[in-house]
Amino acid sequence: MNDQIAIHIEGLTKHYGDVHALVDLDLDVSRGEIFGFLGPNGAGKTTTIRTILDEIRPTAGSASILGLDAREASVEIRKHIGYVPGDLAMYPNLTGKDTLTYFSNLRGGVDWDYVDHLADRLDADLTKKVGDLSSGNRQKVGLIQAFMNRPDLLIMDEPSSGLDPLVQREFQAMMREVAAEGRTVFLSSHTLSEVQRVADRVGIIRHGRLVAVETVTALRSKAMRRIEFEFASPVDPDVFRSVEGVRDVEVTNHHAVLSFDGTIDALLRTISDRYDIVDITTREADLEEIFLTYYRDEEVTA
Amino acid sequence: MLANVFTKTVLDRWKGVAIAAGSLGLMLLFGMAVYRDVDLSVYSNLPEAMRSLMNIGENADASGLAYGAIYSSYGALTLASLALSMGAASIAGEERNGTIGLLLGNPRSRTQVLLSKMASTVVLVAAGTLLLWGLGRVVPEILSVDIGGRQIEALMVHMFVIALFHGFLALAIGAWTGKRGLASGATAGFMVLSFFAVGLLPFVEGFESVAKVFPWHYYEAGTPLVNGIQWGNLGLLLGLSAVLGAVALVGLERRDLRGHGVAVTLIDRLRENRFTKKVIERLAGSARVSSVSAKALSDHQTLLISVGYIALLMSAVMGPFFLLIDDVLKDFVDQLPEGLLAMVGYADMSTPEGWFQGEMFSLTLPIAAIAVTAVMGSKALAGEEANRTMGLLLTNPIGRTRVLFEKTTAMVIAAVVVGILSFVGTALGSLIAGLGMSMAGIAATCVLLTLLSIVFGALALALGAATGRTRIAMFGTAGLALAFLVLNAYLPLSDSLAGLARWTPFYYYLTSDPFNTGMHWGHAGVLAAIAVVLIGVAVFAFERRDLRQTG
Repeated sequence: MNDQIAIHIEGLTKHYGDVHALVDLDLDVSRGEIFGFLGPNGAGKTTTIRTILDEIRPTAGSASILGLDAREASVEIRKHIGYVPGDLAMYPNLTGKDTLTYFSNLRGGVDWDYVDHLADRLDADLTKKVGDLSSGNRQKVGLIQAFMNRPDLLIMDEPSSGLDPLVQREFQAMMREVAAEGRTVFLSSHTLSEVQRVADRVGIIRHGRLVAVETVTALRSKAMRRIEFEFASPVDPDVFRSVEGVRDVEVTNHHAVLSFDGTIDALLRTISDRYDIVDITTREADLEEIFLTYYRDEEVTA
Repeated sequence: MLANVFTKTVLDRWKGVAIAAGSLGLMLLFGMAVYRDVDLSVYSNLPEAMRSLMNIGENADASGLAYGAIYSSYGALTLASLALSMGAASIAGEERNGTIGLLLGNPRSRTQVLLSKMASTVVLVAAGTLLLWGLGRVVPEILSVDIGGRQIEALMVHMFVIALFHGFLALAIGAWTGKRGLASGATAGFMVLSFFAVGLLPFVEGFESVAKVFPWHYYEAGTPLVNGIQWGNLGLLLGLSAVLGAVALVGLERRDLRGHGVAVTLIDRLRENRFTKKVIERLAGSARVSSVSAKALSDHQTLLISVGYIALLMSAVMGPFFLLIDDVLKDFVDQLPEGLLAMVGYADMSTPEGWFQGEMFSLTLPIAAIAVTAVMGSKALAGEEANRTMGLLLTNPIGRTRVLFEKTTAMVIAAVVVGILSFVGTALGSLIAGLGMSMAGIAATCVLLTLLSIVFGALALALGAATGRTRIAMFGTAGLALAFLVLNAYLPLSDSLAGLARWTPFYYYLTSDPFNTGMHWGHAGVLAAIAVVLIGVAVFAFERRDLRQTG
């Protein structure tokens, strides 16, 4: 096994009767990176995570974590990981402190100074019963629980749900620190802006299939742009579609918006031959739009 | 009226009602079939007091015995339990689930919601009663048993009303406090107390009329199965129910609703008190989360404490109680037929050992002990899955089998605690009253009781481990336990079927007469072996399957 690989997934497939929750998924996550795992609700993110954590068993395929077989060595693996489940539930009658004590007893000890430090950073109240906390404050206890053992690999399923923006920023800083120490973060999310801010690479999953794996920089360097034109007269949308690299054309009368990842010169020449351009604005497409583009491609090829 | 709240509540609950009524119908079928095949002439010669306790009229026959033993006691208790659990869940349950806010977010007043809940309770209890009535009519037809002049309709009306009363009592407590556990616990406790008081007090000289304090008296008094509807008693119970309903409406209107929160327990208060803080922090804080077993035990502390308390106190009280009714018992015990003795495990109620066996060890203590182990067993694994905490628990470097073993340990410890308290209570009772029972015999009986409860705990554990569903584990275990209990009691009545009793775990519990003969290691071994096999099945099933993420 390659020591540089934190998560290695091969041909992972999970069927629930006729429902194909995961289809032949291959994925490698390197040590020391923050890997964003993106997909809409029901795409198979949680199924993937629960399979590699041995909560559920794959129909086919295998996974290894930190060089260990996910199925055979699941207990050994758990010594080295921190996990925040999606839709986090904890024991409502325990306080945050009780909860962390419980888990540290099961792990065989924890550095309480570090726990206090984490609680401080996230502004978490560990003296209240978990059942009496708001969902955001409960989430903080879940995060501390995952970070407190300084795990080699953090697996987090929608971890920022319920957190306010300030705490989210702190949480992102914590993830970056983990990566800087050579440890790994596997972050499942449907919030693109968050992943965009912290992740090195992004995997996009849909209908149980991995649609794409790209570095965030590569996604951006596709130089996908959103361009808006204002014309002197009504325009025919087909003019834009004839240019290579143009997608998602929306035309309303004098106005056109499109996504574009070709050379801007070719586009401008084609258009200005036919119409008078009154105004033009262009901006870098955000991950959201790139993301949607990937989905649309998938649909077209499917 | 709030049709949607009403329908939703009815739809949420109808299955439980149907299953309970169906099981009772099956029990009736079985009981009547056995009674049909045995010679019943002896029953007619029973002392009058005994017949009244069993709700049998003067002409004992198969139908009378079956209706009396199964419908009017088990049936009424079951129907009342269903009603009280519905009543307790009505408002307090919605508060505990945190759904009351959502519900009242709609333009509906508290009173409207409560009235809908009341209506659904009434309808469900009525449906359960109707179902029981139907089955009660069909069973004798199937078996061609003549039901004589039994007024089953009258019994049904009485059962409906006593169930309704308990439902409304729980509803009122829940409406005032918002605490579902308190509402169902207090009402169930009161119901069981009434049931026993009404059964036993009439035998205690000078206390005969005290039974009239308890609502259960007005259900049984006048023996409706024989004498028809007792309108005065029904009116009283209905009046009380109406008062409780009004009390509930007032209570709910005047208090703050509880949010989605956690009950503050006594331990929490002690933990905050500066005098007791240090000690309690040790006990409640760090100790209860020291391991999976410790936490499992702590999670079920209320159940364990209340059942342990019942086991200890009731056993202890039974000693002196025996002295009080000693003479009455001796008078008619001689006349008791063999078959009747079989139902209480051949206990000779005129001896202290027989008295304890008949009153505590043949029904009350096994049910109490199995309740603890079955709840702990079914919640052990399936409960963590239903609460969605299993994933988090297994994030820690502990295997599934270790979690299962730790949970099993907690269940076994709880069973042992109940066993020890039963022993202490019974020994105390014997000592206080100077009954001179054999300590070794008591100990042996309690060991067998503990093993029996572990068997059913292991069954619940295995069902939960295999399915991940608490409901299946809980109802499956309760159903099987009840079936085995009834089978073991009734099979010996029929000569041709008696041998089948050894296929029920209960056979290995009291058949060897441990009070008098001491420990039967062979039977203890059989119970232990069943438990080990079931735990093995649990490990096998739990290691193989996908964990559930939702309840």
